[in-house]
Amino acid sequence: MSGLASSDSGQIVFVIDDDPAILEALDSLLRSVGLDVSCFGSVAAFLDAPRPDIPSCLVLDVRLPGKSGMDFQKELAGSQAPLPVIIMTGHGDIAMSVQAMKAGAIDFLPKPFREQDLLDAIAAALDKDRSRRAHMAELDALRARLATLSDGERDVVAQVVLGRLNKQIAGDLGVSEITVKVRRARAMRKMQAGSLPELVKMIDRLAAESSARGH
Amino acid sequence: MPRTPFLPHLGARVMPVLLVVLAAVIFVLDTITNFEIAVAVLYVAIVLIAVQHLGRRRVVMVAAGCMALTVLSFALTRTGSVTSGLINCAISLVAIGVTTYLALRAAAAEAAAREAQTQLAHITRVTMLGELMASIAHELNQPLTAIVLNGNATLRWLAARPANPDEAGKAAQRIVRDAERATDLIKRLRGLTRRAANKAIWLDVNQVVADTLTLVQHEAVRNNIALRTELDDDLPLLQADPVQIQQVVLNLALNAFEAVVGGKERDVTLTTGPGKPGEIIVAVSDSGRGLDSVQPDRIFDAFYTTKPEGLGMGLAISRSIVESHGGRIWAEPAMPRGASFFFSLPTGRTKARGSGQ
Ligand SMILES: Nc1ncnc2c1ncn2[C@@H]1O[C@H](COP(=O)(O)OP(=O)(O)O)[C@@H](O)[C@H]1O
Ligand SMILES: [Mg+2]
Repeated sequence: MSGLASSDSGQIVFVIDDDPAILEALDSLLRSVGLDVSCFGSVAAFLDAPRPDIPSCLVLDVRLPGKSGMDFQKELAGSQAPLPVIIMTGHGDIAMSVQAMKAGAIDFLPKPFREQDLLDAIAAALDKDRSRRAHMAELDALRARLATLSDGERDVVAQVVLGRLNKQIAGDLGVSEITVKVRRARAMRKMQAGSLPELVKMIDRLAAESSARGH
Repeated sequence: MPRTPFLPHLGARVMPVLLVVLAAVIFVLDTITNFEIAVAVLYVAIVLIAVQHLGRRRVVMVAAGCMALTVLSFALTRTGSVTSGLINCAISLVAIGVTTYLALRAAAAEAAAREAQTQLAHITRVTMLGELMASIAHELNQPLTAIVLNGNATLRWLAARPANPDEAGKAAQRIVRDAERATDLIKRLRGLTRRAANKAIWLDVNQVVADTLTLVQHEAVRNNIALRTELDDDLPLLQADPVQIQQVVLNLALNAFEAVVGGKERDVTLTTGPGKPGEIIVAVSDSGRGLDSVQPDRIFDAFYTTKPEGLGMGLAISRSIVESHGGRIWAEPAMPRGASFFFSLPTGRTKARGSGQ
């Protein structure tokens, strides 16, 4: 069997194909293994529909009227919330599959494909989206905790992360060493960091994330 | 217009004799008439005939011979004014020279054009096939994919605990529907070939063979293949699509070429003749590697090929064309070696032809 959690409505598979026969068949097959499915005949229809904020992936036909599947995949890959994509094609040529994989497709399935290949790809895609979401949620939590720090605590944390000693920090900020220690301990408690290295790692992750967004 | 003779053997033997006789006649006339009559200009005719039948070097040799004869008869002629004799002699020499040059150039251009045409015929055949296959493959792929997915879905709905016969039934219904869609597609394809065959006209099968020969003649010469024809002149006309019949002959001829190339004896013969009553038979025989290493019952199947670069569609398409015309196509080993491919075409309600019945 597919290894997918059955009737777990906490996730959804989107399908875009211009052939209604394929849509109906995929809809039935995916529901039969307990997945929630939502089908669209075009990229435009997909974009018009509201999307629930749960782990999801997209099964996309290459040859579509209007915007081509390939172009849409590239667009998605470059967006804020990249949706994992599985590409289906009616004429699986190698050049196109290489292009799709380079643009980050989970898998490239030439029609007609084996159902197990599709289900495996969907499982991998949903896993990927779930861990991306978990990662994002973690970052959000960190950001929320960071927001609870007082200005003084934040200043101390900024210096600690740079690897400076309490004495140096005290001198720089014009406060006593005791105050530095107290603020540091309070900051670690608010950030829920068990150790100094852990705190450093948290701040690094937040910094990496914000610089990635800056682009 | 293609040049007519496809009888290189006859031509090779008779042509030199004819040219020599003609040259002798012109020489005698030129010599016995007086200087004012420029009979030597007629050597141009010899050059023009030679260009049609001989290679470049030989044509130049013939022209040089004609020029030599012109000078010789000037020396031998006794009557008339020597001045006009000189002028006429010069005019004749220039005429022979210029004609030779222009005729050789025209022949070269024609050969190039013919080669281009052969290549074009090849390319068109291959690309048309490729495109056709790609679009059919795509069209069939869609319902086939849906059938496979619906089949899987049916099994899963039935295997579920509890089973869901309602959903399974719906999926099974879609299988039937999609299979019908695939069937319709195939029916449409059949209709397409039938409609194409409707472009039938009354045609002379010998003419079709001759037209095909123009396309492959050059290829034969280049590969040192002795291409012969044995055409029966008393065949009735038949109703068929000339382009399609030509394609069959072309496919068989190219296969024959491919079978003899690499061997020592490179003979390919195209034959037309009567078959059973109401039927014409066209045969393409070769002295090539024969049918020992192939599966004779499979050679007409699509994609069956023993060639590294082969497509395996030539004979499959030929069979579908011949059968859509109500004929048959088959292969036999040739004696003493090689293969013969035959196809028959019904003459149906035959139309009396020229002198015949
Ligand atoms: N004249 C021939 N002599 C021997 N074998 C032949 C000849 N013509 C066809 N065949 C065999 O039949 C096969 C199918 O021919 P065809 O359908 O024209 O495809 P292709 O030429 O692309 O291989 C060839 O690969 C060859 O093995
Ligand atoms: Mg062939």
